[in-house]
Amino acid sequence: MLKFVVRRVLWTIPIILLVIFMTFWMMRAIKGSPFRKSERAVPPAVLANLNRKFGLNKPWYVQYERYVVDVAKADLGPSLVLRNQSVNDIVKEHFPVSAELGGLAMLLSMLVGIPLGIISALRVNRLPDYIAQFISNLGFAIPSFFTATLLIYFFAAKWGFFPTNGWDTASSKVLPVIALALFPLTYFARLVRGQMLETLQQDYVRTAKAKGLRWRRVVVVHVLRNSLIPALTAAGPILGGLVTGSFIIENIFAIPGIGRYYVTSVQGRDYSTVMGITVLLSILIIVANMFVDIMYGILDPRTREARS
Amino acid sequence: MVVNPEEVEFRSRLVEREAGGETYAAGAAIRQASLWRDAVRRFTHNKAAVVSMVGFVVLLLYVVIVPWVSPYDPNNVDFSLAYQNPSLHHPFGTDEFGRDLFVRVALGGRISIGIGFAATFALMIVGILYGAISGFVGGWLDNALMRFLDALYGLPYLPFAIITLAIFGVVNFWTMVVALTVASWFTTARVMRGQIITLKENDYVRAARAIGARWYRILFRHLLPNTLGVAIVFVFLELPNVVLGEAFLSFLGLGINPPNASWGSLAQDGYSQYLSHPYLIVIPSIAIAWLILTAFFIADGLRDALDPRTTEHV
Repeated sequence: MLKFVVRRVLWTIPIILLVIFMTFWMMRAIKGSPFRKSERAVPPAVLANLNRKFGLNKPWYVQYERYVVDVAKADLGPSLVLRNQSVNDIVKEHFPVSAELGGLAMLLSMLVGIPLGIISALRVNRLPDYIAQFISNLGFAIPSFFTATLLIYFFAAKWGFFPTNGWDTASSKVLPVIALALFPLTYFARLVRGQMLETLQQDYVRTAKAKGLRWRRVVVVHVLRNSLIPALTAAGPILGGLVTGSFIIENIFAIPGIGRYYVTSVQGRDYSTVMGITVLLSILIIVANMFVDIMYGILDPRTREARS
Repeated sequence: MVVNPEEVEFRSRLVEREAGGETYAAGAAIRQASLWRDAVRRFTHNKAAVVSMVGFVVLLLYVVIVPWVSPYDPNNVDFSLAYQNPSLHHPFGTDEFGRDLFVRVALGGRISIGIGFAATFALMIVGILYGAISGFVGGWLDNALMRFLDALYGLPYLPFAIITLAIFGVVNFWTMVVALTVASWFTTARVMRGQIITLKENDYVRAARAIGARWYRILFRHLLPNTLGVAIVFVFLELPNVVLGEAFLSFLGLGINPPNASWGSLAQDGYSQYLSHPYLIVIPSIAIAWLILTAFFIADGLRDALDPRTTEHV
C-alpha cells in the first residue's frame, strides 16, 4: 500500500516537469517580444538590458532549468508587463478568489448532482428520472455564458435579489457559484446514474435482495458504496471543467479571479504571467489526479496494480 | 441505457456472431452488411436519436441554405433598421447595425459548425493514429506515448487552446481548428488505444498473424475497420466539445474576429446588451445548445446501435 502511494506521488514529478517543459516551449514559440508591443521602437540597448534583466538572453536550457528551480521554490518569476509585481503577487491576489468560487461550485455540484443521479437511477425510466435527465441534459447543452446571463437577467436585473457582479458580499457569490456549478452538476448526475444502473445489475445486489435484506439497506450498503467510488474519478475532468468554466464566469460577473486575469494577460502579452498561471493550474490538476488515484487505490484495491 | 433488455439480447447476438467464422471472405461481406442493417434498425428504434438526427439536419440545412436565399446582405449596415425585434421580415431580429440576424446566425453557424467538424475530423485522425500506434506496437513505445498523454492531461483545456492561438499570432478559421485539435485529442487517443489492444487479442487477429499477414494488413484490414463504430460515436461526442470550446474562446474575445462571426462572438455581442435586447444572446445560445443536444443524442443512439459493449462515457 505504502509502496503504491509513494510510487504514485513520485510519478507526478516527471509529469510536472514535462508539463512545465511543454508550457515553456510553447511560450518560447510565441512570436514577438513582450517589450515590442507598442508602436514606438525600443532602443536596442534598452531591449538588451530588459532581456538581460529577465534572463531572456540565456540559452533555452538555462532558462528552463532556472524556471524549474524557481517553480520548485514556489517562485513564478516577475511579471513582464506590470512593473514591480511578481507573478506570485498576482497569484496571491487573484487565486484565492478563484479557489473559493471553484470550491463552492464543486460543493454545490456534488450536493445536488449526486442525489440527482441517485434518484434518477432508483426511479429509472419513470417521471423523477425523466425530470432529472431533462435537467442534466439542459445543463449539459446550454453554454455557461447563457445560463449566467439568464441568472443575471432574472435574479439580478429584473427582480434584484442579488447583485449583477462583483465578489465582495455573500449575496454577490450566489449567482456565479450556481452558474459555474451547473456543468459539473450534470456531469456528476450522469455519472452516478450510469454507475448505479450498472451496480444494480450486479449479482451481489441480487443476492442481498434474495436473502431478504431491506431495499433501503441494499441501496445504502451495497449499491451506493460501489457506485460512488467510480464517481471519484470524475474529480480530475471536473476540475478541468471548472477551470474552463471559471474563465467565462469570472469574465461575466467581473470577478477578480485568476481566469479573468489570465485573459487580460494573454491580451497584454504578459507571457511570464500566462506561463506562471498555466503551470500553476496544471500542477493543480496533476496533483488532484494524483489524489484521486491514491484514494481510488485505497478504496478499491483491485486498481492498485493497474494504476501504479 | 444499461438495463435494457433489448441491449442484452443484442449483446448475446453479437457474441454469437463473433463466434461465427471470420475467415470466409464472402461470409464476411454478408455479415458486415447485416451488422450495418442491424445498426440502422437499432438507431431508428431510438426515438430521441431519430428526433435529434432530424433536428441536426434541420440545423445544417438552415446554416447552409439561408445565406444563399436570404434577400438581406449580412454585412449591410443600416442604422434605421437597428434593434428590430424578431418579426416576419427578420425572424431573429436585427443587431445594433441593423444587420439581419437570421442570415448572420446562419453564417455564424457555418463558421462554428465548420470549425467543429474540421477540428473533430483532425482530432479523430490524430487520436486514432496515436492510439493505434501506441496500442499496436505496445511495449516501451506504448508506455512512453501514454506517459506523454498523462502529462498532456495535466494541461487545462482552455489555456492550452489560448496559448496555441497565441503561438500562431493570428486567429482565423484554420488556426482555430488547430488550437482546438491540439487541446482535445487525448481522450480519442486513449480510447482508441484501448480498442486496439482489446481487438489485438481476438482470435481472428491471431489467425491472421499465424498465416503470416504483414503488420500493415493486420492494422489496416483487421484492427482499424473494427474501431470504426467507436470512431463514429466519438465524432458526435467530440463535436459538441469543440463547438463549445470555440464558443468560449470567441466569447472571451480571443476567437474569430469581426466582421466574421461565430455563434460565440454573436453571443458575446449580444451579452453586452442583454438588458435592452435579450434576443441578441438568446438566439446564438439556443443554436449552440441545439447543436450540442442533438449531437449528444445522436452519439447516444449510435453508441447503442454500433457498439453496445462500449461503456466508456465521456
